[in-house]
Amino acid sequence: MLRLEGVRAGYGRTEVLHGVDVVVPPGSAVALLGANGAGKSTLLRVASGLLPAWEGGITLCGDPVEDAPAHHRARRGLCLIPEGRAIFRQLTVRQNLAMHAGGKAVDRAVERSVAAFPVLGQRLHQIAGTLSGGQQQMLAVARALIADPQVVLADELSVGLAPVVVDDIFEAVEVLRREGRSLLLVEQYVNRALAVADYVYILHKGSVVFVGEPAQARSADIFSQYLGTGS
Amino acid sequence: MKGLLPFIVIGVTTGAVYALASMGLVVTYTTSGVFNFAHGAVGMFATFVFNELRAGHGWPTPLAVAVAVLVVAPLLGIAVDRLLLGRLQGAPAATYVVVSLGLLVALQSAAVAIFGGQTRQVPPLFPSGSFSVAGVRVGYDQACVIAIALFVAVALAAFFRFTHLGLQTLAVVGDRDLTELVGTNARAVTTFSWVLGACFAALSGVLFAPVVGLDAVLLTLLVVQAFGAAVVGRLRSLPLTNLGAYGIAIAAAVATKYAATSPTLVGLPSSLPFIVLFGVLVASPRGFFAEIHGEGRVGRSTAARPAPAWRSLGAGMTVAAVLPAVLSGSRLLTATTTVIFVAIFASLSLLVGLSKQVSLCHAVFAVFGATTLSHLLKAGLPYPMALLLSAAVLVPLGALVSLPAIRLSGLFLALATFGFGILAQSLLFNSAIAFGRRAQVNLPRPSWFGGDVAFYYFALAVVVAGVAAIELVRISRLGRLLRAIGDSPAAVQSIGVNPTASRVMVFCLAAFVAGVAGGLLGSLTGQITSFTFDYFQSLVWLTVLVAAGPATLGGSILAAVLFIAVPAVVTSPTVIAWQPVAFGVAAILFAQAPNGIAGWFRLPDVDDLAARSAWRLDRRRATERAAAAIGAR
Repeated sequence: MLRLEGVRAGYGRTEVLHGVDVVVPPGSAVALLGANGAGKSTLLRVASGLLPAWEGGITLCGDPVEDAPAHHRARRGLCLIPEGRAIFRQLTVRQNLAMHAGGKAVDRAVERSVAAFPVLGQRLHQIAGTLSGGQQQMLAVARALIADPQVVLADELSVGLAPVVVDDIFEAVEVLRREGRSLLLVEQYVNRALAVADYVYILHKGSVVFVGEPAQARSADIFSQYLGTGS
Repeated sequence: MKGLLPFIVIGVTTGAVYALASMGLVVTYTTSGVFNFAHGAVGMFATFVFNELRAGHGWPTPLAVAVAVLVVAPLLGIAVDRLLLGRLQGAPAATYVVVSLGLLVALQSAAVAIFGGQTRQVPPLFPSGSFSVAGVRVGYDQACVIAIALFVAVALAAFFRFTHLGLQTLAVVGDRDLTELVGTNARAVTTFSWVLGACFAALSGVLFAPVVGLDAVLLTLLVVQAFGAAVVGRLRSLPLTNLGAYGIAIAAAVATKYAATSPTLVGLPSSLPFIVLFGVLVASPRGFFAEIHGEGRVGRSTAARPAPAWRSLGAGMTVAAVLPAVLSGSRLLTATTTVIFVAIFASLSLLVGLSKQVSLCHAVFAVFGATTLSHLLKAGLPYPMALLLSAAVLVPLGALVSLPAIRLSGLFLALATFGFGILAQSLLFNSAIAFGRRAQVNLPRPSWFGGDVAFYYFALAVVVAGVAAIELVRISRLGRLLRAIGDSPAAVQSIGVNPTASRVMVFCLAAFVAGVAGGLLGSLTGQITSFTFDYFQSLVWLTVLVAAGPATLGGSILAAVLFIAVPAVVTSPTVIAWQPVAFGVAAILFAQAPNGIAGWFRLPDVDDLAARSAWRLDRRRATERAAAAIGAR
C-alpha cells in the first residue's frame, strides 16, 4: 500500500535517512519506533512529500509518487498527521473540517467528525487555536476520518495529552483499522503502539535495525538495546 | 468644520485608491511571506499599458481597463512569483527585500527608458460633473472611485468568508505545510495571491493616473504610499489596513489646507504616509511586527571570510595613484567621483554585506554630509576640520536611523529606512539645515588642494583612510559580532552580548563615512542640489552593491566602477537610460550569491590552502599513528 525502498534523505548536506526500506501492507498497522533523532519524523515527512527524497523509490497503492508534491499524494489517499497540533489555528473548527474535506460535502465531514468526537460538535464556530490541547488533537485526527485516506501516517498522536484523551484518540485509530485503512504510527508509548500494530520497525540512526511482529520484538530484547527502555 | 468638508471628500477619494493598493500588498504578503517593494511599480507598468491601449490604439476605456487590470497585471504577478521568487525558497528575508527592490528599480527605470521621464496627461475615466451632499460638491469621478474601492473591499471580504479558494488562502497564511498535507496546492494558492495583489496595484494605478498624470516615478511612489496604510494594519489585518488608508489620506488632505498658508509645512501632506510608516515602525511595541517566515527558511551564513582586504586595498590604491598620469580633464573628474563612491559603497556594505541590514536611506547621509560641510565652510571653519565635523554631525542621525534596526529585523528595517529616506527628502531637504529655499548649496574645494589633480589625491587619501577604518571594523570583534548578528541575533544574545550597541555603532560609522564622501562629492563639483541624490538613488546604490558584491572591499570598488566609470566611458544615451534597469536585474540575479560579481573573481587564498593542507596532513598522521597503535596491541 505504501512502500519506501532505499530512501535516502536529509536536511541541507546532512543525511538523516541512509537507505531505508519500509512497507506498510494493505489494511495493516505498522508501528515505527526509535529513539529521539532516529529519523522517524523525517521518514514521515519524506513519505508525505514535505521533504524530497534524495534517492530511492516511494510507491502509494502501486504508483510511484517520489516526484509528486505533497498535495498530490494527499489527494491520492495519503494522510499525514504531523507532530504537534496539526490544525489551522486561526480558522474555526468548521473551516478546518472544510479544508480537510477539500471543500466538498462539508456537512458529511462535520457529521462524521462529530460522531467520533462529540465535543467538536459543540465548538464548530470556535477558533481552533482556542480549543484545549486534547480537542485540537481530536480535530487533527478527524482529518483521517473524513478524508477517506488509503494510508494514514501519524506522528506522536499522544504527545502531551492526558491519558483519558489518549484513549479517545486511539479509539479513533481503532476505527481507522476496522475500516481497513493502512496505518503507520510513530508513538512514544511503545506498549500502546504494539497493542495496535501488526508489524514493528525500529529505526536507529537513520537505518532500519529491526523488522518483525510485536511478539518477536518483545522477545528479542530489542527495546532495551535501541530505545533505552525495558518494554 | 464646514470649510474642511471639501478636503475630506478629496481625502476619502485618495484613501480609496490607497486602500486598494494596500489591500493587494497585504494579501500578497500574508499569503506568500514576501513584501513586494515593487508593488507600486507593477501597478505603474500596468497603467502605462492601459494608457498605451486607450490613447495609443484607441481602445474603448472599459476594455483597456479590463485588459490592464485583468490580463497584464495577473501575468506580471505570475511572472514575479514563478520567475523571481520560485528559486528563492528558503532564503533569508533580506534576500527577498533585495529582489523586490531590484524589480522596483528595473521596472521604474524601464518605464522611463521606454516612455520617457515627462508626465503625460490622462483623460478622465468617469463622466465629469458633480452633485451636492450636505452642501459639499462631490464629483462623479470621486464618487465612482470611492464606490469601486468599497465594492472591492466588500468583495474581498466575501471572498475570504464564503469561497473555498478564500479559505485555502487563509489556510496557507496559517500553515503552509499543513495546507499541502490536506491536499491543497499551496504553491498555486501563493501564485494566486500574487495575481490578486497585482490586480489591486493595477486598479489603483489606473484610477490614480487621471489625477496625478502618467509618470513612472510618481505612480510608483504613490502606490508605494500604501505602505503606510499596510503598516497600520500590521501588514496583516485588512480592516485595519483600510482604516489606515482612509485615515492617512484624509489627514493629508486636511493638512494641505493648513500647509497652503505656512511654507514650512508645504512638504507635510505628501510625506504624511511616510511619517505614519516610520512612526508606527519606530513607536510600536516590541514584537508588534513579526515577520512571516516560510517553512525551512533557515538563514545561511553568507558572510565572507573575515580576512582584511589589504590586498584589494593595496591593488586599488596602486591603480588609483597612477591614474592622474594618464587621465585629465573630465576623465579625471570621473576618476575622482569613482574613488569617492568607493567610500559610499564600502560604508553601505558595512550595513548590507556585513550585518545583513538593508538600509534604504544611504543617500540622505551623503546629502547631509555635503550640506553641513557647506554651512560649516561658510561659517569660516578650515576645510579638514569642517569635513570631519560635518560627518560627525551625521553620527547622531545614523543612531536615529538605527533605532528601528534595534527593534525590528530584516523587512521592517528596510521599510523604516525607506520611509525615513523619503521623509528626509520631502521635509528636511528644503529647510535651512540642508539646502534652504534655493535648493542648492555651494562648496569650495580646500585651498591647498584646489587643482583637479591635487583634489584627486586629497579625495583618495581621505577615502583610503575611511575604507581602512571599515576594514579594521570588519576584522575586529565588532565585525565578528555583526556577522553573528546577521546570522542569528538570538544566538548573539544568548552568549551575553547585547546586539543593540553593535548595531548602533555600525550605523553611526556608515553614516560618518557616507557623510565624508558626500562632502567630497560636493566639493568636487563645487555645488550640490536637492535633486542630486533623491530617495531613488539609495535604492539604485543598493542594487549596484548587491550586484557587484556586498561582502568585500573588492565588491565596493567594482560597484563604484560599474556605477560611475562605465557610464562615463560608454556615453551612448541608450546605455545610460538602460543602465539602472541592468542594475535592478543584476541585483535580482545576484541576490542569493554571497558576494555578487566580485565573488566570481576570488583569487585563490594561498594562506588558507596551506592551512587546510597542513590540517589534512596532521589528520592523516594521527590516523596512521592510531592504526599503528592498534596494530601493536
